[in-house]
Amino acid sequence: MAEAKPASQKIWLISNDNATMEVDRVVVERSMLLKNMLEDLSHTDITQDNPIPIPNVNEAVLRKVVEWCEHHRNDPVTTPDDESDARKKTTDIEEWDQKFMQVDQEMLFEIILASNFLDIKPLLDVGCKTVANMIKGKSPEEIRKTFNITNDFSAEEEEQIRRENEWAEDR
Amino acid sequence: MVTRMGMPPVPNREDINATWKYLEDGITRIMTDLEQGMDMQMYMGVYTAVHNFCTSQKAVGLSGPSMTTSHRGAHLLGEDLYNHLIQYLQKHLAALVQSSKSHTDEALLAYYIREWNRYTVAAKYIHHLFQYLNRHWVKREIDEGKKNIYDVYTLHLVQWRKVLFEQVSEKVMDAVLKLVEKQRSGETIEYGQIKQVVDSFVSLGLDEADPSKSTLDVYRFHFERPFLAATKEFYQAESKQFVAENSVVEYMKKAEMRLAEEEERVNMYLHGDIAIPLKKCCNQALIADHSALLREEFQVLLDNDREEDMARMYSLLSRIPDGLDPLRTRFETHVRKAGLAAVQKVQSSEGDKLEPKVYVDALLEIHTQYQGLVKRAFNDEPEFTRSLDNACREFVNRNEVCKSGSNKSPELLAKYTDVLLRKSTTSIEEADLERTLSQIMTVFKYIEDKDVFQKFYSRMLARRLVHSNSSSDDAETSMISKLKEACGFEYTNKLQRMFQDMQISKDLNKEFRDHLESVGNAKAVDSTFSILGTGFWPLTPPSTHFDPPPEIAAEIERFVRFYKHKHDGRKLTWLWHLCKGEIKAGYCKNSKTPYTFQVSIYQMSILLLFNENDTYSYDDISSATQLSSEVLDQALAVILKAKVLLMDGGDKPGPGKTFRLNYDFKSKKIRVNLNLGGVKEAKQEEVETNKTIEEDRKLVLQSAIVRIMKARKKMKHTQLVSETINQIRSRFVPKVGDIKKCIEILLDKEYLERLDDDELGYLA
Repeated sequence: MAEAKPASQKIWLISNDNATMEVDRVVVERSMLLKNMLEDLSHTDITQDNPIPIPNVNEAVLRKVVEWCEHHRNDPVTTPDDESDARKKTTDIEEWDQKFMQVDQEMLFEIILASNFLDIKPLLDVGCKTVANMIKGKSPEEIRKTFNITNDFSAEEEEQIRRENEWAEDR
Repeated sequence: MVTRMGMPPVPNREDINATWKYLEDGITRIMTDLEQGMDMQMYMGVYTAVHNFCTSQKAVGLSGPSMTTSHRGAHLLGEDLYNHLIQYLQKHLAALVQSSKSHTDEALLAYYIREWNRYTVAAKYIHHLFQYLNRHWVKREIDEGKKNIYDVYTLHLVQWRKVLFEQVSEKVMDAVLKLVEKQRSGETIEYGQIKQVVDSFVSLGLDEADPSKSTLDVYRFHFERPFLAATKEFYQAESKQFVAENSVVEYMKKAEMRLAEEEERVNMYLHGDIAIPLKKCCNQALIADHSALLREEFQVLLDNDREEDMARMYSLLSRIPDGLDPLRTRFETHVRKAGLAAVQKVQSSEGDKLEPKVYVDALLEIHTQYQGLVKRAFNDEPEFTRSLDNACREFVNRNEVCKSGSNKSPELLAKYTDVLLRKSTTSIEEADLERTLSQIMTVFKYIEDKDVFQKFYSRMLARRLVHSNSSSDDAETSMISKLKEACGFEYTNKLQRMFQDMQISKDLNKEFRDHLESVGNAKAVDSTFSILGTGFWPLTPPSTHFDPPPEIAAEIERFVRFYKHKHDGRKLTWLWHLCKGEIKAGYCKNSKTPYTFQVSIYQMSILLLFNENDTYSYDDISSATQLSSEVLDQALAVILKAKVLLMDGGDKPGPGKTFRLNYDFKSKKIRVNLNLGGVKEAKQEEVETNKTIEEDRKLVLQSAIVRIMKARKKMKHTQLVSETINQIRSRFVPKVGDIKKCIEILLDKEYLERLDDDELGYLA
């Protein structure tokens, strides 16, 4: 982009329940959606009176997402190429993120959906890993309980699924 | 439809038709009217609509569920959106094709570029807005190996190529070529347009196998190929016409200019990829197609010393493969002829009295002239230097002067060096001398019979040292080190030893003087002795008997005693014919100051006799000196000619004649040099030198053969001959016949034996 982009440049966001918040541009740019938009619409003035609408996210979730972005504002930008297997496979989560994810289940899923919408890959990963850790080591019945799922499989269906997934069983 | 400062209205996420209708409005705005700008609500709205559609649960039904799809887990929606987008783009592009038909030439170019730019900018926006589709559905399809699914930006390019490019590119290219032809004909054009077309064609190069990579295939086929064809056609026609109407020199200037222009053209507005093929194409049409004509002209340019034009021709022909070889051949022939002609000229004007300097200067002039040409016109190229060297070697070793004797070139060169290094009245400045010696080395490098040069040089060096008439020690050393550099240690070994002997002798004389003083011996004769190592000096003992006069004999005896004491067991041989001295004549009536005679020791012994008597008979002198009549007559002849002695009757000394001291001797000079070697002597030495060369060569050949056989033990006859030639070549060019003779000699001497199958063996 041609114009100067000081780290302190301010951007205003508005959630779908009409809460406006002020965020540093670098923080906003953790979202690929917003980053692309800022570039594409570089001539648009973003002010407190003309904030960026975030249609699919409410205030509580947006604040949470912004909090995460603030904390990770200086992380190196990952390109699709260095999504190494190691980062993908491990379910390890750094300490701050673990704490950050200590929220109720509904909020957790809202964060995941928001990061998917806003295209914040690292946050999406952290969210999914957190869910994965909740499933890890649990029996189907425990999992159903954890996520409040009713079992709508018939006995035959269940048997078939078990057979198909036999290879994955711990022995 | 869009409200400011609020959330964008979003269509029903489960309704593809409603969603598409909404998206189409946004896309059309971007495609056709982006200048109007786009607000955040619309941007967010479109993105969100795509997101919502792709994440809607019930939309599954639209793409038709089946057992296979439900098996792969979460179904990723998007195919419908993707297909709608394709249909939209195809419709949009078809409309562009339609309206392109109303434009031609430059207007078409402008139209293509305008629409291309608009389209690609829009593609970038839409790519961002459909990012959710890219990230999920497209990614999934590509990961699963589906062909012909691209990310949204690439999809735009693919569609452009398929729908618009296929139909329009040829016409666009025609316009480009027309524009370029205009420029080549001298008009000013808007070349920025061509550059944009190039960029567009390059962008369309998508690797079908891997869409993330790009290739230049599209550009090469649709741009480079027609461009090169047009270029070739243009220059073929132009050059054909130009050559018919102008001189070759004018044509070369034109071609040079055109080539520079085309190079500049690449920099200005073409893709770097075309640089090499374009150059090749121009080289072919402008140079290679006319190379025969250019080469014909080369002889004319050489004959007229047209250096600048030759340089031009060189740079042109150096651009095409094998372009310069014929030039080099012609150049070599030309230099050889020039050299031979120069030698013939000095030969016919000077005849037998050819001065070494005139000859060497003639050789050098040709070399200097054409070396300069190589440097200035032929880029100092090693290949041309080699042609020059070949030509020089030919005319230095095989010219008119060498006809009288193949050793003439090295002989004359050595003689010229002697002239330079000998003390003379017209001595040259040291810097000039050094430069001239370097020039001598230039010619020396071309001499094939380096052994002949060595022979003559060492003889003349010996003479300079013995008679101490070398112009400077520094110059001598410099010349020897130059020869050493050119031919190695062995070549100059003897020369260096000769030089050393003189230094050692100097010290020895001083020691001898000190010795005489310490034993209190009165100085009878002022003497200096030179001790010359037998093997190193090209000198032979005198052919005559000689009894030195008693005054000298006493001194000699003292020296011999001193020397034997110092170096026991060494044998001293006196080279009387090289001894000389000075005597003062106090008897002359006509001069108050006594004359000084510079004489050989033979003459000295004759004249010293006259201290006792005024008259001697020939036989008296002969028996006193023991000299052979030949040597005696020669010594007397000079004395008689100077009228120091007078002879009674006849004009030639011989038995029965008497000689008397001339008291009335008169001379303009106080110092009279009677030690004049006859011209005959010099001639004889020359003949002798040449004679020894043949003998020496046989020995050199034999020792080389023995050396080779000692190392190899067994060798085929033919192999041995060629190996010998290789080893000897730096000294002289041996004849195969001579080598065969030498092998026979060595077989007879049982150094070698004949084995089966034409092989020779070494006998230790």
